[in-house]
Amino acid sequence: MPSSVPAEVPGAPAVPDLALPRRSGLSLMVSELRVLFGRRRTWALLLALAAIPILIAVAVRLSSSVPAGRGPAFLDRITQNGLFVAFTAMLVSVPLFLPLTVGVVAGDTIAGEANMGTLRYLLVAPAGRVRLLLVKYAAALTFCIAAPLTVAAAGAAAGAALFPVGPVTLLSGDVIQPGEAGLRMLLIAAYLAVSLAGLSAIGLFLSTLTVVPVGAMAATVVVSVVSQVADQLPQLEWLHPWLFSHYWLGFGDMLRQPVLWDAFGRNALLQTGYIAVFGALAYARFTTRDVLS
Amino acid sequence: MGSETMGSFTAGSDSTFTPHPPPDRRRGNPALRRWLPALAVPAVIAAGALAGTIPASAGDPLPARTPAEVLALAASHQVESFSGTVEQSSDLGLPALPSTGPGADPASAGGAASVVGFLSGTHTARVYVDGKTRARIQVFDRLAERDIIRNGNDAWFYSSKDNSAAHLALPEHASDLPLSAPAQGQDPSAPGLPGDPPTTAVKTPEELARQLLAKVDPTTAVTTGADVQVAGRTAYNLLIKPRSDATLVGQAAIAVDGRTGMPLSVQVTARGAASPAFRVGFTSLDLAAPDGSLFTFSPPPGSTVKELAVPADGQAHHGQGFQPPTVSGTGWDTVVGLPAAAAGGGAAAALLNDPLLAQAVVVVPGGRLLSTALVNVLVTDDGRVFTGMVPPDRLQAAASAAP
Repeated sequence: MPSSVPAEVPGAPAVPDLALPRRSGLSLMVSELRVLFGRRRTWALLLALAAIPILIAVAVRLSSSVPAGRGPAFLDRITQNGLFVAFTAMLVSVPLFLPLTVGVVAGDTIAGEANMGTLRYLLVAPAGRVRLLLVKYAAALTFCIAAPLTVAAAGAAAGAALFPVGPVTLLSGDVIQPGEAGLRMLLIAAYLAVSLAGLSAIGLFLSTLTVVPVGAMAATVVVSVVSQVADQLPQLEWLHPWLFSHYWLGFGDMLRQPVLWDAFGRNALLQTGYIAVFGALAYARFTTRDVLS
Repeated sequence: MGSETMGSFTAGSDSTFTPHPPPDRRRGNPALRRWLPALAVPAVIAAGALAGTIPASAGDPLPARTPAEVLALAASHQVESFSGTVEQSSDLGLPALPSTGPGADPASAGGAASVVGFLSGTHTARVYVDGKTRARIQVFDRLAERDIIRNGNDAWFYSSKDNSAAHLALPEHASDLPLSAPAQGQDPSAPGLPGDPPTTAVKTPEELARQLLAKVDPTTAVTTGADVQVAGRTAYNLLIKPRSDATLVGQAAIAVDGRTGMPLSVQVTARGAASPAFRVGFTSLDLAAPDGSLFTFSPPPGSTVKELAVPADGQAHHGQGFQPPTVSGTGWDTVVGLPAAAAGGGAAAALLNDPLLAQAVVVVPGGRLLSTALVNVLVTDDGRVFTGMVPPDRLQAAASAAP
């Protein structure tokens, strides 16, 4: 076995086929997802996310009623309708907890393999570096979908267990049935998944820069915090529409009647831009570097 | 990188495996080519962003019309049913208000502060209108919303922030009046023009254009500029310029839809300023009648509902001791003075005491002054209020001249 895998040269079989069958992208994806969701750390992250709504529900249950207009939005509605636990929890987890967990997963993608010394085996397979990068990013995206869904599901379950569940009052004052409220919850989860896609791409790129996964994870989380702080500074107003965290709290538009899609569209476009930029950077970095571990 | 690689696996030794050099070697350094997308993608995004800022060229040029014809077109438009998104932004020179995070929205602090909120920054609202008596305005805040719903003689106000609703039964004769909010959030110094009847803090381009066009008189020069694109529609650009030098207003531009005559946007520029201090306009517009279910509103369960008193007539809220406001100057130079006892004067004085606005208020000889790019408000030491689209010294002169 080689001790290092040099940068790929297109058109040249830089690495001879070492009798390992070339795996299809799909089977690589399946095995990657199996690794990701078979990991104790991934489950710990999802459990920590699920703990947020449970904590909120229990705290509201044990304390006296929240006066209207105090605390995070929707908090005062929980005692009337348990489904608001899910909305409150998603709101609370957007600034830190979701970026934190996504940062851990996305920062680990390439650097984690390099750190464990498994990256070169993946590359001599030979799966191809582009394919490996795509599979790693797809796995990180899967986590971006799973994370907000976990918060929503745990919130709805905890709210239903501790509080009455009934028709939900939207921001516009209109009332929808619990079934439609579940649909809106899925919409918000989708909005948050899209919101986190750009951060995942940044994490993937940072992960190709280092063989220390903790460094890539921390850097990804720091980037998300810096972006949110910059979004609060009026002096940087010209920059705000370009920050990947700019629309993160715009998911309230899913709770208007009728649903306002403007923020969803703009957010999706912005995140696509981040995916393109940092995907291209990750591709450039990962295909030109020599893998030593 | 890769200096300690085994010979047969280094990048340079691939000719060991391939008898012919790979074809793409002719196209230069492969490492460089892999960085190309990373350079090209930001360039493409930058180009796209730049292209987005270039105003779209008018599709079908509108037939040439004189300013008088455009005025007549705007005055006679027949659009009574539409839905659209309205954006309002103000740059009146007020200090930046604290950022509107989810918990610190100025809208939550109640009447005066919500008006202050509208005086700065950008606000978005969705407007649904069906005929003269059915309308709904949704003012968007982050994770909150304020709604005004009018259906026939019923008017509802709803704020999601504190889940409160208010109902007002409009008198019969009001059924064909344009929608106005004779209740919460109103204030004479709302971003409209002084002396106008109080209406909702967010004005549709239609309302504001009507007020501006009412001012068109011999003191005003009306011209048309190059056609503009508003909400994807081609519109005449009506430019209204006060002839007087004594007003703060430099120019108002009204975009009048070329096909229907409906005002689509209004921009007011202060004298000598390059960009508008206040603008409101549609960002999207649909002329189809909105869904009727939007206009039916019943207070959601758990909300606090308040029944508002019906004003007997337009001036009823001024009460018994109503004193008429003093008016000096004409046209754009008009200064409106409110006596200390008037309800409106009290509200304006309360507005200046608002902690958010207090930092924008300066003490001048004879009183306190709230100065913005377009409107000045002077509260004298004895509680009278003078307001107008004129420089502060004119207000002071009016205050000393008034009884």
